[in-house]
Amino acid sequence: MPLPLYYFLANAAINVLMSWALYLPYRVAHLHFITVANMAISGYLAGYLVGTLHVPFGWALLAGVAVAALIGYLVSQFIGDAPTFAVVIVGFTFIYITRTVIENLKAVGGTLGMFGLPGIAATPAGHRWAMLGILFGLLLLVGFLIYRFDHSRLGRAASAVFTDKDLSSSLGVDARRLGMLVQTFSCTVAGACGVLYAFIYKSLHLDFFTFHLVGIFMTVIFVGGYATQWGSLVMAPILYGVPMLFPSAVQAWRIVIYGAALVLVLVLKPEGFVTRRFVVNLERTLSVRRRGRNTISKEGL
Amino acid sequence: MKKAFWLVLAVALVALTSCAPKVAVKEWTVPFLNALTGPIASIGEYLDWGAQQAAREINAAGGIKGKPVKVVGVDTALDPQLGSVKMAEIVKNSLVALGPVPENVIQAAMPIAVEAGMMSMTATTSYEYAVKYFPWTVSWFPPTEKRLGVLVAAWGKLHADMKKVVQFVENYGPWPGMADAHVKGLSELGMTVEKVEVPTDAVTFGPLVVKALGMKPDGIVFVCNGEKIAKIIKELKGRGWKEMGKVLVFSSGDVPELYATGGKDIDGVVVYNYINPFVDNPRWNTFKAAFEKDHKGMAPFSLSPNYYDALYMIKEAIEKTGVTGNPKKLAEERKKIADYCANVKGFKGLQFNWDMKDGIPTNKPTYLFEIKDGKKVLLKEVR
Amino acid sequence: MQVLIAQLINGISLGSIYVLLVTGFNLLLLVAMIIHFSYPQVVVFSMYIAWVVLKATGNNLVLGVLAAVAASILMNVASAPLFQKVMQKRGEVDINSTMVLSMGIGMIITDVLSHSFNRGFPVAFPNALGGSRSIVRAGVISLTLGQVVALGVGVIAVSAFFVLLYRSRAGRAFRAIAEDPSGARLVGIPLLSTGFASYAITGLLGGVSAILLAMLLGSASPGLGEQVAHKVLAVSIIAGLGNLVGGLVVGLGLGVLEAVVQGYISGSWSNAIAFVIMLVVILVKPKGLFGVKL
Repeated sequence: MPLPLYYFLANAAINVLMSWALYLPYRVAHLHFITVANMAISGYLAGYLVGTLHVPFGWALLAGVAVAALIGYLVSQFIGDAPTFAVVIVGFTFIYITRTVIENLKAVGGTLGMFGLPGIAATPAGHRWAMLGILFGLLLLVGFLIYRFDHSRLGRAASAVFTDKDLSSSLGVDARRLGMLVQTFSCTVAGACGVLYAFIYKSLHLDFFTFHLVGIFMTVIFVGGYATQWGSLVMAPILYGVPMLFPSAVQAWRIVIYGAALVLVLVLKPEGFVTRRFVVNLERTLSVRRRGRNTISKEGL
Repeated sequence: MKKAFWLVLAVALVALTSCAPKVAVKEWTVPFLNALTGPIASIGEYLDWGAQQAAREINAAGGIKGKPVKVVGVDTALDPQLGSVKMAEIVKNSLVALGPVPENVIQAAMPIAVEAGMMSMTATTSYEYAVKYFPWTVSWFPPTEKRLGVLVAAWGKLHADMKKVVQFVENYGPWPGMADAHVKGLSELGMTVEKVEVPTDAVTFGPLVVKALGMKPDGIVFVCNGEKIAKIIKELKGRGWKEMGKVLVFSSGDVPELYATGGKDIDGVVVYNYINPFVDNPRWNTFKAAFEKDHKGMAPFSLSPNYYDALYMIKEAIEKTGVTGNPKKLAEERKKIADYCANVKGFKGLQFNWDMKDGIPTNKPTYLFEIKDGKKVLLKEVR
Repeated sequence: MQVLIAQLINGISLGSIYVLLVTGFNLLLLVAMIIHFSYPQVVVFSMYIAWVVLKATGNNLVLGVLAAVAASILMNVASAPLFQKVMQKRGEVDINSTMVLSMGIGMIITDVLSHSFNRGFPVAFPNALGGSRSIVRAGVISLTLGQVVALGVGVIAVSAFFVLLYRSRAGRAFRAIAEDPSGARLVGIPLLSTGFASYAITGLLGGVSAILLAMLLGSASPGLGEQVAHKVLAVSIIAGLGNLVGGLVVGLGLGVLEAVVQGYISGSWSNAIAFVIMLVVILVKPKGLFGVKL
């Protein structure tokens, strides 16, 4: 596999997963920025376990996921049904705390960062295939779980909370438990992303996890479409890959173009490019075609 | 007999010319992974300018083995994701590369160069970063502790009456390590060094300055961003600090922002660096004049010669190791360049000659300057 | 004791920066129901415009101030239609849409500043602005003209806007349009001119804040707005969204807290400690210390 393609696919997968990690809490109107802090914590933890303590990668991945899930669960006890603002402040707080702790912790490299993490397979090519396998396996798993969530009573409850929290409570929706569920799940996904991110680059630097990442994932969700998971899936690779095709004079203004795209989409298509109606219509069309094919084949018999 | 003689001569000539390695490229392309957009775009531009200036000079003098060299700026915008993809593209076919800049992109992209066995010259980062990627890069600076301790001690000796020094330290990259090296150097002179941490997003510095002055220091050392240094110095002066010679600014703080923000308030401050603007040699004079012409009279930024020298080092490596640019010999020729650069002797840099031993420069000078009217005046050379 | 007094003065000085920015932020909430996360970036843009005019006119202070105010008003008025378009619910702040939209605007402003002004380097304001002139000096204690003026203007601005919004007809009209434009039109409030006036007033405060920040800080950089944006949002939330007086108290309080942490504990931990304390407050009092005033 060409090396640029590997890095493109790996980074695009991380961006999709992290956008989904933000998408799910946003279903209950929470901007859950703590996911960036989870990414950093789990990444550094796994890096330390593998690089310094020589723990096998699989166990380090599990540890990173478990710690992220635990943090998400504990924090959600307090902010499961908190106002959006409180959730935003929690996110900012954790990002600041995480960065400060890591930069003062010599054991994980401090401000220099972590270097030379080993591959997870015997050869570099094996490492790349293994990483892509894990990343896309995780993508499928998380995508499936989010799909099932969206098409379940929980998903409908989340939509109700998003639309009108008080009304949804009066209809029996437990906003707090729902919030706890989505927040814990989102932190778990972010933890896995952090570990995998570290092993894509085989190193870690604090500047891998900045507020800039928050801006990128927000752009993916809102330009792609915040009402369905498919918007992030489509937009993450596009936002990541298309600027690389710009001529360098245009690339220089990349951030301005992103900002303008975000503003234009919010103004002209507030739900983003991939709207819920579009997805519903697409699902209907596909199911009609499937029924049509089944009818034809039965008649054929 | 005569016929036989001419026949032998012709055969010998053909044999000789076919033995000399033929250059397999029409042009030597050297990609430069740089931050051309984003918060440090202006610094990226100065680094790129240095490399492009070297390319212009080399091409004006006939190129490398008769073929022109082209430095291709590859923008990573400080984004590690972008940096990794760009490096992955570069390692497919490139013989050698410059950069990456800065440290977070180095960490994302250099492992790719290392795996591919391609040298990428990280000429603006500290030894502590470069050493992680040996032998596929070289360090432009000696180990921090060895070098800086001596340098700061030289400054300390200028003010031997100092008993206590306060150091303003910003937690970024190799800076804490540099601060530790300063402590070592000053401690050997019997001075105590106290630390004041500077938050990265600080906008006012009164609390930090009051804290520092409360420790009753005799001297001040700065290990933080140039703009912050200028503001802290203004704050110090505003609270009565007068002894500007007992204020030392580290090399990474010697940036245009220091002078733009500091103005007259930084007069008398001492700064250490590796580039001496007062060197008088034709190459440096040409470089300086060209830089000032292209940058509206601004003097060369202290890191702008680094990639100029890096490109010349690559030129020397190609010429002296018989590299041809033949794609079939890519791995072998990449190794030749890396091996040559790691142990080059008497490399003729823009300002001085130096040697490399296993990727580490062994005899580069450093300088102490005093700032007067916004310009540096040489105080002392330290080796 | 001297050190403590000096740190308190430093804290109040830092706090006055937050007060100026939070007041403008809260004003936009009150007159337009928008969370302008990137309001600090708009102020920094105005600082840059002031710098350009000062350079071009040989440090003509009057023109510099006018340029900053004009730039801020223009940015506010130009972005007003965008915010109005994305807001889905009147009478309620649509944090998500307006915050995200303002983040997009902020990205554009920061990048334009780092490309097009002074090659992306920080800009230094002339000493003629007078902000760094010391008016009281005793040992480590130093009180500058910029600090006094910034705090004074901050307090006056909060008081003046409080009176304007809650005690005057014009203020009631602004708030009526923000909450329910159709209802406001029904009772005869001219939407266009009143809406324009509300954005212009916040722009005026933004321009004045830009000049005061120039006096206080002496320089500006493209990333300055981003550096303070998180804290401005946090202060507004902790105080209570739209609460002008609360913003004043919490803004000053945050400044003092940061100064004390930097002065007595550790500079690198000041943000983390400040945010933890704010986090505890918001968990205990989700509507803010002084209550939401929307």
